[in-house]
Parts: sequence; C-alpha cells; structure tokens
Amino acid sequence: MRHLLFLLPALLVLLALPDTRGRYNDDFDDGEDIAEFDDNDFAEFEDVSEDPAVDVEKEPPPRAAPSSTPVEDDEDEATVENEDGQDEFEDADGQDQDMYSKYDNEEFEGYEKSNPSFKDTLIYREVPAHLQNSWESYYMEILMVTGLLAYIMNYIIGKNKNSRLAQAWFNSHRELLESNFALVGDDGTSKEATSTGKLNQENEHIYNLWCSGRVCCEGMLIQLKFLKRQDLLNVLARMMRPACDQVQVKVTLNDEDMDTFVFAVGSRKAMARMQKEMQDLSEFCGDKPKSGSKYGLSDSLSILSEMGEVTDGVMDSKMVNYLTSHADKIESIHFSDQFSGPKVMQEEGQPLKLPETKKTLLFTFNVPGMGNTSPKDMDSLFPLMNMVIYSIDKVKKLRLNREGKLKADRNRARVEENFLKQTHAQRQEAAQTRREEKKRAEKERIMNEEDPERQRRLEEASQRRDQKKIEKKQMKMKQIKVKAM
Amino acid sequence: MTVNNMADPRRPNKIFRYKAPNTETNPTLEDPTPDYMNLLGMIFSMCGLMLKLKWCAWIAVYCSFISFANSRSSEDTKQMMSSFMLSISAVVMSYLQNPQPMSPPW
Repeated sequence: MRHLLFLLPALLVLLALPDTRGRYNDDFDDGEDIAEFDDNDFAEFEDVSEDPAVDVEKEPPPRAAPSSTPVEDDEDEATVENEDGQDEFEDADGQDQDMYSKYDNEEFEGYEKSNPSFKDTLIYREVPAHLQNSWESYYMEILMVTGLLAYIMNYIIGKNKNSRLAQAWFNSHRELLESNFALVGDDGTSKEATSTGKLNQENEHIYNLWCSGRVCCEGMLIQLKFLKRQDLLNVLARMMRPACDQVQVKVTLNDEDMDTFVFAVGSRKAMARMQKEMQDLSEFCGDKPKSGSKYGLSDSLSILSEMGEVTDGVMDSKMVNYLTSHADKIESIHFSDQFSGPKVMQEEGQPLKLPETKKTLLFTFNVPGMGNTSPKDMDSLFPLMNMVIYSIDKVKKLRLNREGKLKADRNRARVEENFLKQTHAQRQEAAQTRREEKKRAEKERIMNEEDPERQRRLEEASQRRDQKKIEKKQMKMKQIKVKAM
Repeated sequence: MTVNNMADPRRPNKIFRYKAPNTETNPTLEDPTPDYMNLLGMIFSMCGLMLKLKWCAWIAVYCSFISFANSRSSEDTKQMMSSFMLSISAVVMSYLQNPQPMSPPW
C-alpha cells in the first residue's frame, strides 16, 4: 500500500512528460543500450549496463521504504538518459538500424547471457489501479451505483404499492361516503365546490380525502398515513421496528352538534401517550386511564373521560359491540369539544391567549397486517367507517343532564382561570409595553406638528387625559377602601 | 317514522371547502426529513467538491435521492433538481480530478 503511495507521485511525474511514457515502458533497456552504444561504439555494453541495473535491483529486497528513493533516482536517470538517447536517435535513425542488423548476433549473444542474472532480481511493480484497463478496480463505485439502482427500484415498487392500497381503500369506502356526504373529495383549489371523487395525494405515502355536506357535522378529513415504502432507509428501519399503516379520520363539528365533554378510548399505550401529549386530555381528563373491562371492552383498551356520565353516555351497546369486535384495529378514539391539537411547546413563556379549540371527533385506526398489507385488507376497515358515521349521529344526540352540564362548565372555567393566572405576569407586561408605545407615539405626533399653536393644544389635551386617568385611579382606590371597610 | 330513518343525511347547503391545515401553528405535524436531507446533501457535495473526497460526493447523491423520496408533492421541484444536480456534479468533478477508484476505508 505504501509502495503505491510513493510510486504515485513518481508515476504522475512520468505521465506529465509526454513522450517518454511510451518509450519508457517499452524501450527502457533499448534506450539505455542505444545511449551506451553511442558513447562506446564498439564496446561490449552488457558489462557496463548490467552492474548499475543489478545493483539497483539488489537494493530493494532488504530494505522496503528507502528503496523508493534509489528507484526514483534510477527512473529519473532513466528519463534523462532517454531524452539524450532520443535526441541522438532522431539524428542517426537510419544508421542505427543498419548497425543493429550488422551487430545483431553478437549483441544478442551477450544480452542472453546477462538475462539469467536479470531474471533473479526482476521485481514486478504494481501498475496503479486507474492505469489498469480493468473494471474490477472500480468495485466500490460499482457498489455505489448498484445501491442507487436498488434505491430507485424500491422507490418505484413502494410508490406503486402505496398507491394501490390507497385506491383499494377508496374503492371499498366510496359508496358509503357518497351516500353520506354531498361533497366527496376536495382539494380546496377549484372555484366551485364540486366533488373530485378521488383522493388527494400529499406525499408518496400520505393521501387525503375531504368530505363535507352532511347533517350533524361540518366536514370530515380522512388521512391515509401509509408507511414510507418508497424510502429504502425506512424499509430497513422498519425491519428493526415494525410499524403499521394508519387511517386517521378527523370530523369537525359545529357548535350545536356536540355537547361539552371530553372523552377518549383506545389502546393502553396510545391513551398513556395522548394524556401527556394532547392539550385537552391533559387538562380535562386528569385521572389515569381506566381499563375498558369495566364497560365490557377487552382489557387491551383503556378509557379517559371527563366524568363518568360521559362514558356511560358514549359506551352504549352498539359502540361496545364495535369496539370489541375490532379492538385490534383501533388505536384511539377521541371526542372533544375543546380540541386544539397536541401541546405546543412555547419558547418564551406561556402564550398570551388560549389556543383555539374546535369540536372534533378524532379516530385513528391501524390497518391489519403490520406493514405487510395487501389491498384486500382495506375492506376490513369498512365496519370502522360505519362506526364513525354512527358516532357522528350519536354525539349529536348525546346531551349531558343538568348536573353533568354544571360540572363541565365548572371544569372549563377552572381551566381558563388557571391559564389566566399563569399568564397574568406576561399580560401585565404586554399591557405596560402597549401603554408606553401609545404614549411615545403621541409624543412623537406632538413633536412632529409644525404648527406651534396645534402643538400647544395637543400637549394640553394629552396632559388633561393623563390627569383624568390619575383621578380615576384615585377614585377606584378610594372605593376599594370603602368597600373593604 | 321510517321516512326519517331513510332520510338522506347529505346536505348540499352545508358544504364547507377544504382548507389545508396550517402547518405554522403545528410544526410537529410536519416531517423534517426532506429538508434535513436536502441540507445534508448540499453540505456533502460542497465537501466533496472542495476537499476532493469521493465518498462525500457519493453520500451527497444518496442524500438527494432520499430527500426526493420523502418530499411532499407541494414542494418545489426546482430545489430537488438543484440539489440533485449539485451532487452529481460533485461526483463527476471528483472523478475528473482524480480518476483513481475509491479506496475503502478499511
């Protein structure tokens, strides 16, 4: 390896010298011979040329590293000799050829004798890889290109599989959706609200469908969140950690379509996670998730609820039936009138106002097959869509009794109060800065007024306003004192 | 009555248009992979070009492929193409400057 590294610069130098290269490889010995021949016309050249060559060649075997320098010098010498030989050779081209033929036998006699000693110390230097005309030396590149081709193949196969799964899902659910919604499929870009009748592809692995125009709800967004089959890295990662495709249904409701309650049911893992992550579940459903077995469900499901009455209301016999027969496919079901998504991490303290809430029903279903799904598996999700439709109608009819309503209202007031307390300091600061800004703006306006008369009047007006404010404050303090007494 | 049960639940007058969810308020919903891979690809191709490292250039090509595979359909194709072209040019330039094959690190 080190030999190669030392040889490389030397060889690159040689490559830079244009004419010597070919001659160097082929005519090394001849060049030397011809130079010697010119110097000593009738001398026996083998004695003179043999010794230095033999000396040079004998050195490398005992010492590995330093051998490179004598070899380099020899090569440099060889190039110099070659150049000299070349100049003289050009002048006496024809002559040399005749002389060659004349002294042919004698010359080659001596040459043959010297051959055995040459052969003993002949060392084959490795030709650097890029000078070899073989593809084998580029095996790393070939590996890289093969990897890229594999990635592209996987991309095409994965993309097609996801597309087929999405189409299969849509085909099995199309009739149900079209019979329930006036608008099936909308990407929001067309001028008129007409059904596109097809899925909206967001990614190679995410497909959306927006349905609207139904009694009891504003609209329903269905997201088919498939695995990233088109990305080879993801495919390999999934071999370590299996995951499954998901279908997420988000139904947004109008204010009159739902009473005020927060409820969730799903797999134990999902419930534990959602209680920590979701803003509304963490605020309203403080208790630990209850096991579903209390309400006739399997033990694998657990329930988070604002109050017991809500659970009793939601878990009627039909719902329990749905949940028990498809427990393996249900990841989570979340009904909430205070839905605002997951908790948002704030960088600079708390937000100054409560996050916007929307009455929402959120369903997350797992597609059976754990990644190895086939288009036929999509049919098994059909009863779950029936459950969604049933839930929409049910939630419209579900009303809390007076007690429950009071409790719910108290809960919401409590949450709001907590929030206001937490942000009190921030809001005060913000109000203070706003007041200062106003004052500054007013002062600037007064300064910018060119007419001195106007300026005086504006100043007087602002002074009067400040005076009034101070008086008001004093009055308030007096009133509070009186009340306290 | 049975008529109510069979009533069509569809209400064409209650249609709401689809509004794409605002990703500014929910940054957690967005997948950062294509952006990271794009950036990584550009960094690696710059390294490969400047430092004449072949393996950097090859990794850049892989990064730009991964970024493309994970990209959203709404994303600009021009950026994808530019990062892809940059990585290909890094590979080509590395080989033009030094035609020797890549040696493995072991």
